[in-house]
Amino acid sequence: MEWIRELIRNMQEAVAGIDIDLQSFASMLIRFILPALAIIVVVRCIKSLMQEKSEIEIWGQLKLANGTLVDLNNWENAIGRANASDVYIDYPTISRNHAALNRDDKGNWMIFDVQSSTGVEVAGKKIEPNVGVQVKSGDKIELGGVPLTFVAADNTDEYEQAASRTRPGRLYKQHSTLIFLTQFQALLGLQLYIASDESVAMAILFSFLALIGLMWGCYIAMRALKRVAFEIETLAFFLSTLGLTVVVSSAPARIATQTVFLVLGLILFFTMGWILRDINIAKLLKRPIVLAGPIILAATLVLGERIHGATRWISIAGLQFQPSEFVKIAVIFAGAATLERMYTRRNLFGFLGFMIVCMGILAPMRDFGTALIFFVAFLVIAFLRSGDFATIFLSIAGAGMAGLVAISLMPHIAGRFASWGRAWEYVNTAGGYQQTRAMSAAASGGLFGVGAGNGWFNNIFAADSDLVFAMLSEELGLIIALCAVFAVVCFAIFSIRAAASARSSFYVIGACAASSMLVFQMLLNVLGSMDIAPFTGVTFPFVSTGGTSIVASWGMLAFFKAVDTRQNASFAVKTPKRPKYSGGGAIVYRHDVELPIFEGDEI
Amino acid sequence: MNRVRRRALAVYLLVAVAVLGLGFYVVRFFVHGSAWASAPFNQTVHRAGILTVGRVVDRNGVVLADVTDGRRSFADSAEVRRATLHAVGDREGNVGTGALSLFAAELMGYNPILGSTNVTGAGNTVTLNIDSALNVEALRALDGRRGVVMVSNYETGEVLAMVSSPTFDPTQPPTVIDDEEGIFLNRAIQAAYTPGSAFKVLTAAAALDNVRDLSSRIFECTGEMRTSRGIVTCPSAHGNIGIIDAMRVSCNIAFGELAIEMGPIVMSRYVERMGLSGRTTVSGMATASGNFDRADPDTADLAWSGVGQFTNTVCPASMLRFMGAIANDGVAIELQLRSRQGLGGLMPVDSERLMDVGTAQRLSEIIRIQNRVNFPGLEIHAKTGTAQVGGDMLPHAWFVGYITNEDFPLAFVVVVENAGGGAAVAAPIANRVLQSAVRG
Repeated sequence: MEWIRELIRNMQEAVAGIDIDLQSFASMLIRFILPALAIIVVVRCIKSLMQEKSEIEIWGQLKLANGTLVDLNNWENAIGRANASDVYIDYPTISRNHAALNRDDKGNWMIFDVQSSTGVEVAGKKIEPNVGVQVKSGDKIELGGVPLTFVAADNTDEYEQAASRTRPGRLYKQHSTLIFLTQFQALLGLQLYIASDESVAMAILFSFLALIGLMWGCYIAMRALKRVAFEIETLAFFLSTLGLTVVVSSAPARIATQTVFLVLGLILFFTMGWILRDINIAKLLKRPIVLAGPIILAATLVLGERIHGATRWISIAGLQFQPSEFVKIAVIFAGAATLERMYTRRNLFGFLGFMIVCMGILAPMRDFGTALIFFVAFLVIAFLRSGDFATIFLSIAGAGMAGLVAISLMPHIAGRFASWGRAWEYVNTAGGYQQTRAMSAAASGGLFGVGAGNGWFNNIFAADSDLVFAMLSEELGLIIALCAVFAVVCFAIFSIRAAASARSSFYVIGACAASSMLVFQMLLNVLGSMDIAPFTGVTFPFVSTGGTSIVASWGMLAFFKAVDTRQNASFAVKTPKRPKYSGGGAIVYRHDVELPIFEGDEI
Repeated sequence: MNRVRRRALAVYLLVAVAVLGLGFYVVRFFVHGSAWASAPFNQTVHRAGILTVGRVVDRNGVVLADVTDGRRSFADSAEVRRATLHAVGDREGNVGTGALSLFAAELMGYNPILGSTNVTGAGNTVTLNIDSALNVEALRALDGRRGVVMVSNYETGEVLAMVSSPTFDPTQPPTVIDDEEGIFLNRAIQAAYTPGSAFKVLTAAAALDNVRDLSSRIFECTGEMRTSRGIVTCPSAHGNIGIIDAMRVSCNIAFGELAIEMGPIVMSRYVERMGLSGRTTVSGMATASGNFDRADPDTADLAWSGVGQFTNTVCPASMLRFMGAIANDGVAIELQLRSRQGLGGLMPVDSERLMDVGTAQRLSEIIRIQNRVNFPGLEIHAKTGTAQVGGDMLPHAWFVGYITNEDFPLAFVVVVENAGGGAAVAAPIANRVLQSAVRG
């Protein structure tokens, strides 16, 4: 490593020898190049996520008595007379939501009598309501007297389908986007290096090299697994780069810790991806993960330290953790459910109970921001599972009243509401001190920023966490700050679009809940620091300093990989193995229609 | 699955909230960014709360404030520094009306694209309309007395002189904590005084529109006038006089009678319309608010308020604007501290018609000073005021008006606190400053 130091010293001497202004000139030039690179990276990722084809899959077929074939395009298929059914059979004896026909990870199919009035028969035997009965390819099924023959796709079918589907990366080369991002990272590192003291210069250099190395390492590992999509990870690495910049600028002593947390985040990301890869494992682990949520929260309440009015942190070995961040993952698991569960009467009761317990523990912790984020997750999950607007409005009304009670009981929250929208009237008191500084710093940065490491806002309390949007805006400018915002918003848009071709509602709910939490948290952070929303003190996902927040954000990212069924896109989605024997193939393709392609909102 | 897919579209609501919220923020960023970045805690361009970039010069290019070695410096001459303090500002930010705080965004060269670090990093120059030499003359004329001298061009709104006394040298700021004297206060903008007889111009303006045959009317002044529950007095019995003479001799009876005749509602409507009771603006900065209470016509209060006593107060800058409007055929131009050269000059000035052209011209005739021995060479229209402020304190001396010399369309206001009669104290100050302005 000595040679790097030597090289840099030589370069510095050379630079100092030519003209002292060269450094500031380079720094100024970088100010204008960085936003362009950020836009390129984010736009390429967004366009790739939106434009790369996600084609339909055929997992099985139902043969009607008249010979008509109906494709089963999902792992979970609702059969009935309701318009929104996946298999729509318009016959008087068939109920609106008659049956659910589900496939698991290993290719086992189960049929459920969900809400039928005339019953489901498998091989001549009537089945119990809401109890799954295994069906095999060739089995005869009778729904309300309508006979059907079930055909499951076999290994050959799956393999051939996979081979014929379009792989992403065709329109936007993933490694090209990564090269742009690497340029962004290198220039940013250089700018920070120029602005920094000699004492931390090495740490900056190594942390940026580590980040670039980790990113390319992940990409190469994915390619080795024959997985070709990397947009989600690229966006997360882009946000992590901004996070690293913030740490370097505000607390250089924590650079090493931050890098360790990034590695931990990646480990959780891959672990979560592996869990979600197999729906059987995901459903098996659901119970312990869900149970862990309230336990972690309760432990925080008992063992935690009260800092700035809220009991959110636990200290272990000098490091502070915010365990409620991990509970977000438990919330998603508690809410995610496969199709047949949604038709049961008690559908939402278990989830509702879980949320009430969590909120009950959060209230004495006075962690208002986390409670709001959980509530938004609850709304999204409740709507996805019930489709019932009345439930949602009731929930909002109930929460509104609970919120009013909370505000009247907790003076520091009431204080935040009192100064909300009027921060400039509280310039030097608690109600507006941080927000006014945040707005001033953000405005001072303009579109291009004053340069990484050149700001003053980093001296304000919580500049690198709750007010990080202002710090980004000041040092890197509004353009890059908005790129960070849109990177997070993009997760939500992708979740909605990926739902169109997702295999299981478990993954749809997971991805929608995860992205809603990330987007809402980001909004609270941004709008709160800019005095447009009440200032609740939550972190900006991936960017804010704070180990737990970063690790948990990476964990939630795995849900987007699990919902991504573009061919060979995601390590969290299995691809079929090459068939051992030639022959086989149970699916009859209807040649009059091409495989339909999901484009945009056509669902 | 179809159901879940459709329901997933609801997440677009959150996306919409995010986009709208951020859009709202971006609009605010572009609209308010300059004000936000001008806050004294923006350390990129402030040190210890003081702007460290930008230069302020007067209309002739005399440097009034600059930056030397990263520290705020001021004009070379101590007299200029004292005379321009309230127009320029101080290092500590105690003077709120100064260019250093009022035009901080322009001084730092702020724009939302480049933020507060423009390409040179040196900030911009702001040119004020004031003439520092005229300010010095005004400060000398005040001769240590507390008060205000303000001169403007009534056709363009440019403020040529703005002096508030007491003042201090910003390189040697006072160590006062309890500012009893109001040394930081810019009396021209941030104070409102009892106007005394200077207010009769307003009563005359209202009467021109509301009292029939005003010009042929004869008032009978016996030295006092009784209302059903009060008495109004006049310094001397003026006998039978017309409106022009009543203005010249400043007859309380004539204007008290007019106020009672028009009633409190008409009077207060005119006071409001002429900008004397509420706030007006100087370069966008709100002036102190004046006051006019609707008095009971049965008592003497209404008559007294018609002659500028009772609870009336007026901000000198608002009075100046009113005078300018009379001179400018009824149209008041917003007073401008900053030069509107360059691109700024393309923007229309904020102007407002206060009265008809006819009313303005007749009013102008009423307040024209015929005996000009005290104002050699000046075509002057003005009114004195001797505002009784109660107790054993001397009255405030006012002199307000304008000159119609072709090259010098100047309006002025002079107020000297607790100094005596308007004609004896304030008028000579106005003459001295105007002579200086006209002679150059």
